[in-house]
Amino acid sequence: MVMTIKARPSLLLLILAAVFLAAPSYAKPKLGNIQFERKSTSRERAGIGPATFPHDSHEATLECKECHPKIFKAKRGANDITMKKNMEGKYCGSPGCHNTNAFPLYECAKCHTKVRGIK
Amino acid sequence: MKRLSRYSLLFVLALCIGLGTSYIIETKADAKQKKSKSSKTALPILDPNDPNSIIYGGTDGQIKGKGDPDKPASESVRIGMGWHPQALSDQRLPKDRYGLIDWAELVRKKMILPKHSLDPNEEEMPPLDMNVVIEAKSDFVNDVVYPHWIHTYWLKCEVCHPKIFVPQKGGNPKMSMAGITQGEWCGRCHGKVAFPLTDCMRCHVKPKSAKK
Ligand code: HEC
Ligand code: HEC
Ligand code: HEC
Ligand code: HEC
Ligand code: HEC
Repeated sequence: MVMTIKARPSLLLLILAAVFLAAPSYAKPKLGNIQFERKSTSRERAGIGPATFPHDSHEATLECKECHPKIFKAKRGANDITMKKNMEGKYCGSPGCHNTNAFPLYECAKCHTKVRGIK
Repeated sequence: MKRLSRYSLLFVLALCIGLGTSYIIETKADAKQKKSKSSKTALPILDPNDPNSIIYGGTDGQIKGKGDPDKPASESVRIGMGWHPQALSDQRLPKDRYGLIDWAELVRKKMILPKHSLDPNEEEMPPLDMNVVIEAKSDFVNDVVYPHWIHTYWLKCEVCHPKIFVPQKGGNPKMSMAGITQGEWCGRCHGKVAFPLTDCMRCHVKPKSAKK
């Protein structure tokens, strides 16, 4: 009994600290759709338009820390993404993401607009 | 206080006994499993040259007999002399990273010996050992190495030439990954009867030379 009473104040402090530390990740930013319009020469060769990343729908089902900073730097344009890296299991193709749990990477038109030959 | 410690002592004792027995049971089960595994490997049922490895299926899909080539269940299964699904689910067949049977590896390991034709008078044509590099239209994505060997092991030239592919390196300028995902070109078979398109790196094997 004595033990638990002694432990209480420190426990409270711990909880408070945890809340403060976790606070920033609770402020959910609704970032909407993020456009990936780089790598245009490579995309033109392939006849593929820009890719769109719906940040909102990913926020809804995943924790921020599942992507930031492990997979993506949380800054627009700070990630050098190519299809080669996606196929090798990085970025969009990370384990448990596209090509494994989420829709496969061969569904080009789900991420890219203006895919030549696909409406 | 004294009573509490006594109870906790009892609890710890009970825990020890519980863990101990479960450990013994586990190791016993392990030993059993090892035994049955070793006796299984001593009986290779997947040797295509061994008549004992053939399982005959009846027209209803059930097993009708096993091992006696003189008593097949029906004419059609004798011609097919195929491997029953039961044999295919055998653990020792090589699998790809999706758990699907890796038919290319099966051929390389010479685990199967299919007849080249149902017509005994037809001459066998050996597979064509020729790789063709197909450039991926991207600055980064690995180029594709198309292996004739595994394809001509199974298929005649006429399956692909000239209807699907013009037989010339770079002779199919309209080919594209988008088209492949729509069931054209390689996608006529891959993702249907051959390994799936999700296995990108099985086709995209040749890295682009250091240019950026
Ligand atoms: C999960 C989403 C996703 C899918 C599915 C997808 N891509 Fe991409 N792709 C991207 C992203 C993100 C980029 C990076 C674009 C940027 O940085 O501007 C990209 C870049 C590219 C590029 C330019 C870079 C490079 O590596 O050459 C090409 C070409 C490309 N994709 C083709 C395809 C094709 C073809 C398919 C279908 C087989 C496909 N993509 C499917 C997300 C995807
Ligand atoms: C599925 C992965 C994923 C999840 C989950 C995710 N993000 Fe992102 N986030 C991204 C990607 C991809 C970008 C774009 C990076 C780029 O443009 O290179 C991004 C960009 C950002 C940016 C930069 C926006 C800008 O305009 O520069 C911030 C801030 C951010 N995310 C915060 C968050 C927060 C907070 C959460 C949790 C609520 C979260 N993200 C969840 C993938 C994710
Ligand atoms: C599964 C389909 C397929 C089959 C079967 C097939 N080929 Fe091909 N062949 C291809 C593809 C794909 C190419 C590459 C075309 C390209 O580069 O655009 C090719 C290219 C060729 C080329 C041109 C090589 C070069 O370097 O220019 C020749 C010659 C050829 N095949 C002969 C054959 C012969 C002979 C057979 C039968 C023994 C055969 N092919 C069976 C798909 C096939
Ligand atoms: C069955 C073999 C095969 C598989 C599997 C495969 N590809 Fe391809 N891919 C090709 C061929 C062949 C080309 C070259 C097409 C051409 O002539 O442009 C190509 C080209 C590409 C290109 C360059 C654009 C183009 O049209 O040339 C991208 C990007 C690409 N593939 C992405 C992927 C992704 C992502 C996957 C996995 C989801 C994948 N590929 C799986 C055969 C394959
Ligand atoms: C007519 C059907 C057909 C077409 C068209 C076809 N394939 Fe295949 N491919 C097969 C079959 C069947 C196999 C062997 C079974 C398997 O591995 O799934 C195979 C196997 C392969 C392998 C596996 C080799 C290994 O050793 O693991 C590669 C790589 C491959 N194909 C690439 C291609 C590419 C690239 C194209 C298009 C240029 C293509 N295939 C077109 C039927 C086809």
